[in-house]
Amino acid sequence: MSIIAQYVMNGAMLGMMYALVAVGFTLFFGVLDVIQFAHGDVLAAGAFAALAVWLGLTRLGVASPALLLALVVVAATVATALLGAAVARFLVLPLKGAPQLNVLLVTLMMGTVLRESIRLFYPGGSQPQLFPALLPTSSVALGEFNLRIDNVILLAAGTVLIAGTSLLVTRTRLGLAIRAVAQDEETARTMGVDFRRIVLLTFALGSALAAFAGVMDGLYYNEIFFGMGLLLGVIGFAAAIIGGLGNLYGAILGGFFFAALQTIGAVALPFASAYKDVFAFGVVIALMALRPKGLIGERTSERV
Amino acid sequence: MSALLRCRDLSRAFGGLLALEGLDLDVEEGGVLGLIGPNGSGKTTFFNVLTGFFPATRGEVLFAGEPITGLSPQVVYRKGVARTFQRSRLCLPLSIFDNLLIGNHKHLDHRLWSNLVDRRALRRQIEQTFAEARELVRIFDPPLADRLLEPASRIPMIDRRRIEVCRALISRPRLLLLDEPSAGMTQEETMRLMDDILQVKSRLGGLTIILIEHEMTVIERVTERCVVLNYGRKIAEGAYAEIARTPSVREAYLGLE
Amino acid sequence: MRKGLLAAAAVLAVSLALREDDFALLLLTRVLIVILACLGLNVQFGYAGVVNFAGATFFGVGGYTAAVLARSTAVPHLFILLIGGAAAALAGTILVVPVLRTRGHYAALVTIAFALLFRTFFEVNDALGGPQGLKLPELRIGPVHFNDAIEIGSFFASFYLKYIVLSLLLAALGFAFVLRLERSFIGVALDCIRLDEIAAASFGVDVARWKIVAFTLGNFLIGLAGALSAFMVGFIAPDNYSFGESLIFVSILLLGGLGNPWGLSLASAVVLLLPEKLQVIAEYRFLLFAAVVILILLFRPAGLLPRPLRRLT
Repeated sequence: MSIIAQYVMNGAMLGMMYALVAVGFTLFFGVLDVIQFAHGDVLAAGAFAALAVWLGLTRLGVASPALLLALVVVAATVATALLGAAVARFLVLPLKGAPQLNVLLVTLMMGTVLRESIRLFYPGGSQPQLFPALLPTSSVALGEFNLRIDNVILLAAGTVLIAGTSLLVTRTRLGLAIRAVAQDEETARTMGVDFRRIVLLTFALGSALAAFAGVMDGLYYNEIFFGMGLLLGVIGFAAAIIGGLGNLYGAILGGFFFAALQTIGAVALPFASAYKDVFAFGVVIALMALRPKGLIGERTSERV
Repeated sequence: MSALLRCRDLSRAFGGLLALEGLDLDVEEGGVLGLIGPNGSGKTTFFNVLTGFFPATRGEVLFAGEPITGLSPQVVYRKGVARTFQRSRLCLPLSIFDNLLIGNHKHLDHRLWSNLVDRRALRRQIEQTFAEARELVRIFDPPLADRLLEPASRIPMIDRRRIEVCRALISRPRLLLLDEPSAGMTQEETMRLMDDILQVKSRLGGLTIILIEHEMTVIERVTERCVVLNYGRKIAEGAYAEIARTPSVREAYLGLE
Repeated sequence: MRKGLLAAAAVLAVSLALREDDFALLLLTRVLIVILACLGLNVQFGYAGVVNFAGATFFGVGGYTAAVLARSTAVPHLFILLIGGAAAALAGTILVVPVLRTRGHYAALVTIAFALLFRTFFEVNDALGGPQGLKLPELRIGPVHFNDAIEIGSFFASFYLKYIVLSLLLAALGFAFVLRLERSFIGVALDCIRLDEIAAASFGVDVARWKIVAFTLGNFLIGLAGALSAFMVGFIAPDNYSFGESLIFVSILLLGGLGNPWGLSLASAVVLLLPEKLQVIAEYRFLLFAAVVILILLFRPAGLLPRPLRRLT
């Protein structure tokens, strides 16, 4: 029983991270019909920004865990929001009208630039870095299963963030503008929506969500490394596709669906724990082969 | 005389939207049929169903007496149906001649051996297609026939239209589908293009044409018979002069009364 | 044709002049091998428009196949090279369905997932040597032992000269193949598929079939290059086949000019030799080339040597 609870908890954590990353992909695709392949590496940059800020603050003598946590999260969010907006401003928007492939390539290369910059320029960046435990490490015994408080907090915070994003998109003026741009750029313009501003804000928003996923990853595994974004990016993108690119709820479902598959895989093939990433990527490939347009279906269809 | 193309109850739905509903349509061999109707009335959908891009949700298409419903675009082309597109779909970075070669795809040898190793037959086919291409393009515009090795991106819109029509004609199809050739051209240019197409038609003998067109002067001048679509249904059929007087057509199409 | 022979003669002349310089010849061989691999990628990406971000993976499949066969079987090494290519082509068939059914960004994702999958697989599979990799025996073709220096009378040359001759031969064959492919009806069909699949299908081009052909032929060349590279280096490890290396292949293609075999040859030389000449940048090469490719895409998307118009007549 406790083993199963452990797996469910583990799956839920993974699912939350994947969902947060997938929502970013889906938002970007929604407004600009592009794939931001550097998204995962923006996430990694956010996690490292968080770590750097933590190091700086502890050196300055800040000891309050709550204050540290708050500042670390803020730092990561701001860093990724700026990075995401910069990618949109300097790489994606200038290539508007160029073949989609060029946007894909340019963001893929940008991802490499970020990844390599962390590896080369962050002190000790080529090795995994210890991430501080900023949350209470106590746990509550539920029968044989120890429910860790930090995991509960992370899940709750993730849920709040996703719910907040969904409310933002569906209930606010900004959300209305984002949806207008996603529908049709021309209409949005005639409605008086500042297209560029909305695109930049959407990229900032999606990237900020990834920052949280990055911090969550660090807190959960207690370490981060420069290549973490590549893995989370690929899986997050796959999750977004499974949910139908451009579909917010689909992305969330896709994230949890993928985590569930991975967890089930780990249960079903315990002997092959070394192959868990092989399994995960195998699932990505198989899903693309079986349902290339996702389980829910992409928003746009091709015109003949 | 039997119809070259015969559609019965042809229908196509997108989700709940019926883009084409129960269309019955016959085209005689050698005829020129005009297909008119407001935007979104199902004209291009009809072409896409006919050429196999969208499967029909119901109904049947017979081409030269043979059912072609549900066949792939590739097979429909091989059977002798060629088309142009509303929005130009030339491969602009390629040369004009390359584009015409694509049009002639079914007559060319694509085996690996003859393309990569023993290339004598390949060279012969290149020369032959080049000669044919020149001759065909010359009907439309003699100076253009001397520019076949230039990139398609370098020629003006009218010439691109011409090359698109030539790309469809070079394989000597039995049925030519023209999707709004006037888009992006002046009325005069369109008229000239249509006259040139009719000239090719008379040379080839037996070419059958379906023309989607908004320019009524063009329809009036080149078509023998018209079918009017509205909301995916046929609302009228007959010679242009007749249907132009039909009240339902005037209402649906011209927005009168 | 004449340009090609001249280029090959020039490479030979340079190698002869540098015949005692092991390191220079090693570098030259590596350039030739990378050219061969990028020619394969060019067929996929530059002509058919099938993206492949797992170039290094297929290179690795060729290398691992060669290592396993050379270590544990008596198959003649020349055949092993060809089998290396065939194995990569075969591995590619795993991806054929998802790559065909998807396009653009989806196909990119599939190949990236494949690259990461195989990288991990090489690393955790003990039969393939795990992270340490595998050693290969000396390459022998007929009576020629590739790891012995050449001494004929007073003529002395590094053993790498043999590798140069072999890789030059294979690269030249690959070159001739790609040039002929481009100047053929198949080349026209591939271009049309890349530029406009709908137009291609309207004129009878069997889009799926030609994508498979291009993908498979391309992977064969990449795998062949990988097998040759494994023999020359004498050992293989997962680190040599990382996603970063795959991106380097793609960078070479984009730098040179998609679809231009001459461009990718020049770019291969620059990308491989520059970090060796300027040791300072060796560590930064992934970063550097990624940044250069970003600039290329923003300001000169056709590459340094844009592909010229096809000339069939």
